[in-house]
Amino acid sequence: MLLTELGKKEKARIVRIKRQGRADIAVRLTDMGLVKGVKLELIRRAPLGDPLEIKTGNFLLLSLRREEAEIIEVEKL
Amino acid sequence: MKKSDKAKKEREILVALAGNPNSGKTSLFNSIVGTHLKVGNYPGVTIEKTEGALKYGGYKIIFVDLPGTYSLSPYSPEEVITRNFIVEEKPDVVLNVVDGTNLERNLYLTTQIMELGANMLIALNMYDEVLQQGTKIDLKQLQKVLGCHIVPTIATRKQGLDKLLEHIVKIYERKIVIAKNKLSYDPQEKDLTVLAESRYAFINGAVKETVEYLDKPIKTITDWIDTIFINRLLGIPIFLFIMWAIFQLTFKLGEYPMGWIESAIVFLSELVSGVLPEGWFASLLVDGIIAGVGGVISFLPNILLLFLGISFLEATGYMARAAFVVDKLMHKIGLHGKSFIPMLTGFGCSVPAFMACRTLKNPADRITTMLIIPFMSCGAKLPVHLLLIGAFFPEHISGNVLFGVYMFGILMALLSAFVLKKFLFKGESEPFVMELPPYRAPTIGYLLIQMWIKAQLYLKKAGTIILLVSIVLWGLTTFPSLPEDYPGEMSQIEYSLAGRAGKLIEPVIKPLGFDWKIGIALVSGVAAKEVVVSTLGTIYALDDADIEDEEATALKDRISSDPVFTLPTVLALLVFVLLYVPCLAATAVFHKEAGSWRYTALYFGYTCGVAWLAAFLVQRIGSLFF
Ligand SMILES: Nc1nc2c(ncn2[C@@H]2O[C@H](COP(=O)(O)OP(=O)(O)OP(=O)(O)O)[C@@H](O)[C@H]2O)c(=O)[nH]1
Ligand SMILES: [Mg+2]
Repeated sequence: MLLTELGKKEKARIVRIKRQGRADIAVRLTDMGLVKGVKLELIRRAPLGDPLEIKTGNFLLLSLRREEAEIIEVEKL
Repeated sequence: MKKSDKAKKEREILVALAGNPNSGKTSLFNSIVGTHLKVGNYPGVTIEKTEGALKYGGYKIIFVDLPGTYSLSPYSPEEVITRNFIVEEKPDVVLNVVDGTNLERNLYLTTQIMELGANMLIALNMYDEVLQQGTKIDLKQLQKVLGCHIVPTIATRKQGLDKLLEHIVKIYERKIVIAKNKLSYDPQEKDLTVLAESRYAFINGAVKETVEYLDKPIKTITDWIDTIFINRLLGIPIFLFIMWAIFQLTFKLGEYPMGWIESAIVFLSELVSGVLPEGWFASLLVDGIIAGVGGVISFLPNILLLFLGISFLEATGYMARAAFVVDKLMHKIGLHGKSFIPMLTGFGCSVPAFMACRTLKNPADRITTMLIIPFMSCGAKLPVHLLLIGAFFPEHISGNVLFGVYMFGILMALLSAFVLKKFLFKGESEPFVMELPPYRAPTIGYLLIQMWIKAQLYLKKAGTIILLVSIVLWGLTTFPSLPEDYPGEMSQIEYSLAGRAGKLIEPVIKPLGFDWKIGIALVSGVAAKEVVVSTLGTIYALDDADIEDEEATALKDRISSDPVFTLPTVLALLVFVLLYVPCLAATAVFHKEAGSWRYTALYFGYTCGVAWLAAFLVQRIGSLFF
């Protein structure tokens, strides 16, 4: 499933980052620590529905847009 | 090279501070070197490299603060600055500032510095927060795994600095040897995905071996605050409330000290008029300098309060949240939530705001954001707003009117961005992956020092450019003198050079309801926005001086009795000053940052055109109602 399909407070692990299309996004995600195997939790969506806020590692909060979250494939934990 | 020169040269140690955005590099730099560079709790505060030096152990240690970066891949300008500095300047020591609460992500950059074979020393910063979170890091073992030394630091409390300096000297003297063969993968790997994965694999191995997290992570204060502050329902109302509160405070709290300064100025001008014999010199002092510069100085308290509000937002970590909350809206108009940070900075001053646009990587986004920043009313425009609002609106709504002016500016900025992105600067907007740092309490000392710096700058500006313009304007409004036997009705100012020039441009601004006096003020306001106030101060002081036995009064009482200021005209003037071109200094920075005359011409024409049009509409629509 995709990161965008995750519900609030649900935890997941990244299975794959899709690289076709926007390669710049994939690079950016990698730099920010979003790579295969990383566990994350969907914290909330912004008031207007986009972007998403996720927590990775133990404390790191990241905000990403739907179009970026869509290239992240995850499995629910 | 002479031998003594060489000996001297050898006693210099060049240290580069490299690390992720918001890891505390500038805080560390400030603590070590004793500077007061800007820090803030959001990624991307530092945009230019800055040097500072310190004498230690017989050496001159030169520190270079660099923009934060997540990796050394040559993508954005900041990353390039950092990469080039390490590769080309070959600093003696690369001080890698690591946010200890986020080891995995921070060490990604560390592996890349290791790949370059630099002499690295790690400052494990935010160590207070590491301890607070109950994380245990086996420093000895981590040092072994990475092959370099690690010093825990708390930059904001100046802890660990001595040890850091000691290590730097030892590395320079080769008393500490850095093992450069610790990487478990081939850094020459061509496939970038594989390379990135091997870096993270190496990091995960290292972290697993040396770091012990608390079993059950507790809910942090940040989690609590955010459940309210960026809540789906409350997020936007809270954002608006915060902005409203800042402008209310700016107005209400500033009123008292402003009153005192005003009375002091009135007292001073009466004193000078009493002591000096009547004549041009007394007029220069009283009507030119005291009325001009004094009028500007009286707004110092308000300016400081506004800056305090902005610094507070920047220091606590709310800036990144504001970007998060409005991103969707910004996305709709084709921009990036991150553009919102330079925009809010623009409430203080356009100069740093233009520069902060460098953090936007997409050129179309960057230039668009730069073009709309003028509409974010800067601190120098504040005195003009305050003067007009104070003179023409009842006290109980003045704070709200001020808030309305700023909101109108934001609205115009967003509308402009939409139009510019749609027609001129098309292009996909860049990825929005942004870190939301934990909330941090700003230190009072930092806030006070920032206020102090702002106060000095403001007074310096009042004592130089505004003083100069006031004197010139006094001259232009006083000469040539009106002949005693001049036939017909004519005041001295109308007869003067400035008056004639004002009359010349009057047709252009007549449709906005402005007369030649306002015209002079607006034109001279291009030099610096406070000059609008000082010029009106001088003009009205001279006008008053025409009337015998008139007592000295504050400027706002003087203008409120001029019939030219009808309500629509006041509103139109507020709007015009809000929107028209920023001061010369800011324009020069815009030109430098945008790098093309075409953009600068567009910037000038666009801001002035929009200002005129908006003021015209306000005047027209306002006249229907009042
Ligand atoms: N608790 C704590 N806060 C710190 C420490 N060091 C820095 N901070 C805070 O962390 C935030 C970021 O500090 P900066 O010095 O601006 O970070 P930077 O690395 O220069 O950031 P950029 O210029 O954006 O790359 C500020 O709010 C600092 O007050 C520390 O050791 N402990
Ligand atoms: Mg910095």
